[in-house]
Amino acid sequence: MRKINMRQAIIEALSEEMERDPKTVLFGEDVGKFGGVFGATKGLHDKFGERVFDTPIAETTIVGAAVGMALTGLRPIPELQFGDFVGIAFDEVYNKLGKWRWMHGGTMDMPVTLRLPIGIAGGSGPEHSQSPQALFMHGPGLHIVVPSTPYDAKGLLKTAIRNNDAVLFFEHKVLYDMKGEVPEEEYLIPLGKADVKREGSDVTILATALQVHTALKAAKTLAENGVEAEVVDLRSLAPLDKETILTSVRKTGRVVIVHEEPKTGGSGAEIAAQISEEAMFDLQAPIKRIGSPDVPIAQSIYLEQFYRPSEEQIVTTVNELMEY
Amino acid sequence: MAQIYKKDVDVSSYTKETLHDFYRTMIKIRKFDQHLIRLMQEGKVSGFYHSGIGSEGLSAGSIRNVLRDEDYIFYNHRGCNQKIAKGVPLSKLYGDFLGTTEGTTRGLGAGIVHSADVSRGVLGQAGTIGSQFNLAVGTAYSAKIQGTDRVTLCYFGDGAASREPLHGSLNWAGVYKLPVIYICENNEYAISCHHTETHSVKEHIADWAGGYGIANYVVDGNDTLLVNEVVKEAVERAKKGEGPTFIEAQTFRHRGHYEGDPYDYVPAEVLQDWKENRDPVKNFKKQLMENGICSEGEFADIDHAVEAEILEAIEVAEKAPLPDPKRIYEGLFS
Ligand SMILES: Cc1ncc(C[n+]2csc(CCOP(=O)(O)OP(=O)(O)O)c2C)c(N)n1
Repeated sequence: MRKINMRQAIIEALSEEMERDPKTVLFGEDVGKFGGVFGATKGLHDKFGERVFDTPIAETTIVGAAVGMALTGLRPIPELQFGDFVGIAFDEVYNKLGKWRWMHGGTMDMPVTLRLPIGIAGGSGPEHSQSPQALFMHGPGLHIVVPSTPYDAKGLLKTAIRNNDAVLFFEHKVLYDMKGEVPEEEYLIPLGKADVKREGSDVTILATALQVHTALKAAKTLAENGVEAEVVDLRSLAPLDKETILTSVRKTGRVVIVHEEPKTGGSGAEIAAQISEEAMFDLQAPIKRIGSPDVPIAQSIYLEQFYRPSEEQIVTTVNELMEY
Repeated sequence: MAQIYKKDVDVSSYTKETLHDFYRTMIKIRKFDQHLIRLMQEGKVSGFYHSGIGSEGLSAGSIRNVLRDEDYIFYNHRGCNQKIAKGVPLSKLYGDFLGTTEGTTRGLGAGIVHSADVSRGVLGQAGTIGSQFNLAVGTAYSAKIQGTDRVTLCYFGDGAASREPLHGSLNWAGVYKLPVIYICENNEYAISCHHTETHSVKEHIADWAGGYGIANYVVDGNDTLLVNEVVKEAVERAKKGEGPTFIEAQTFRHRGHYEGDPYDYVPAEVLQDWKENRDPVKNFKKQLMENGICSEGEFADIDHAVEAEILEAIEVAEKAPLPDPKRIYEGLFS
């Protein structure tokens, strides 16, 4: 099968969906002729003209306008140049995007797909490196998608765009250049379904985005020493695929959750709580979380490495769990 | 409508010392920038860098000879220019880029934004551009209520001007007649977008301030002395309790938005014209020569001295150690 990177997969998903539905509109800062600062909208302005437009630097308005467009028949796909900037549009995301339909009695649709680049990459500093997705697990009404491969990114983005609810679509910056197999023919991946990226019987590693790859590397190392790790790519934090998570946990009896978000209040906290509520007696060891330290991400490229979960950390943690 | 600020500036109304200081500041900014880009090319500096080459006249003219250490600035994301003009030691700035403990952040790394030097009124900046608009009304309100005559300068680009908080900030500044001076560094482009593509008012961004009853001017931002004059008047106004001023300074960036930007969205002739005919350093130098303020020899002396100062600053910054990894846990709380 052909291999393309996640950037190309995203462009293909956007392009195919825009072709399919003339009501789709794509906008954000520099997404037009420049093709996006990460190149994830390259060529789309040439193809779709004014349906792909550059906005002023005004995140509040970008998301607010998307809400208004959605209510009146369009299918907006806004982009925030960096996911960190979601704080600027917090009211629009937290109080409007996920709640408008419900609080007005359920008669309106909210087909917004908000794309947000996340993650530590090359010394980008405390306001350009964060992974704020967990904040929105706390806000009802929002789908939260976090792909880890080009294949998943394409299939999930296409579904997200067709979905009539608000979707926050988080893309790890380091993954844009990562290649993977993507078929030529069309496919969709349902939202809210996790994917077992590697089967194993001794421990379950739950991960998202770049950490899926870190977990897969750790699993390989562990296997050399006879420990079989199952790597579950959550793909979606809301809704959370409890069935896949619990099935795996019941099989292995051990859980490590890995993410680049600060550990406190990260998505792992919620997932760990749900596992302990429903599968406490299937566990042979405590649930472990590997997250970033609870401090802002330093701009120094030397220091930033201490925020990103490493293969060694996963291996060590799994080995600790195996001792129980 | 914004007033185009015009004045026949008499060079002889400035002391030779002041004029040399303007030149020295501008050349320091340019060389700082060039050496930093070299360090990036050598792989020693990571992250984004937004070069300030092309707007040295605006930074020097709006700070030197008019602001004191106790006046506050919120620099913008091309703001090494402004920090240098405000006197932040070069070794500290290089230290922030190199991530060594010499930096103002003592090793956290800072890029352009996040360096601070409270002793010189440099109160920091944010990666989310336009965050300074609301902070500036806070520092200005603070000066007013504490009865000091400190002024706040708030720098931002034409792109950042489209951030919603600008309007909240202007409204407060107007209502409370705050000692704040808005300096819009209009270098025409916000990454790839020309300001006329993203602003409803195409002519002058300064017009927005008029809507809030705030004195506003458009000035040639590459004319160092003209900038100095208009800012001096604004500072006087602020100190007399007459409230805010909005200055839109027209300039252009010589390099792409960030290092690595192909910069192909700007027509080559336009860029060439700014570089050849409207370079603030070149033109200021010419102005001083023509008025007999400075000879080739004196310029050369200043250039050499600045070059040496920069190389020494880099050495100090590079020699300082990297922080201990525990550094990231320090300073979150007092
Ligand atoms: C709130 C926010 N939105 C977007 C960005 C990304 N960004 C950084 S600089 C920039 C363009 C700024 O343009 P302008 O204010 O005109 O300044 P210039 O770079 O031209 O000097 C953008 C979009 C950001 N850092 N913060």
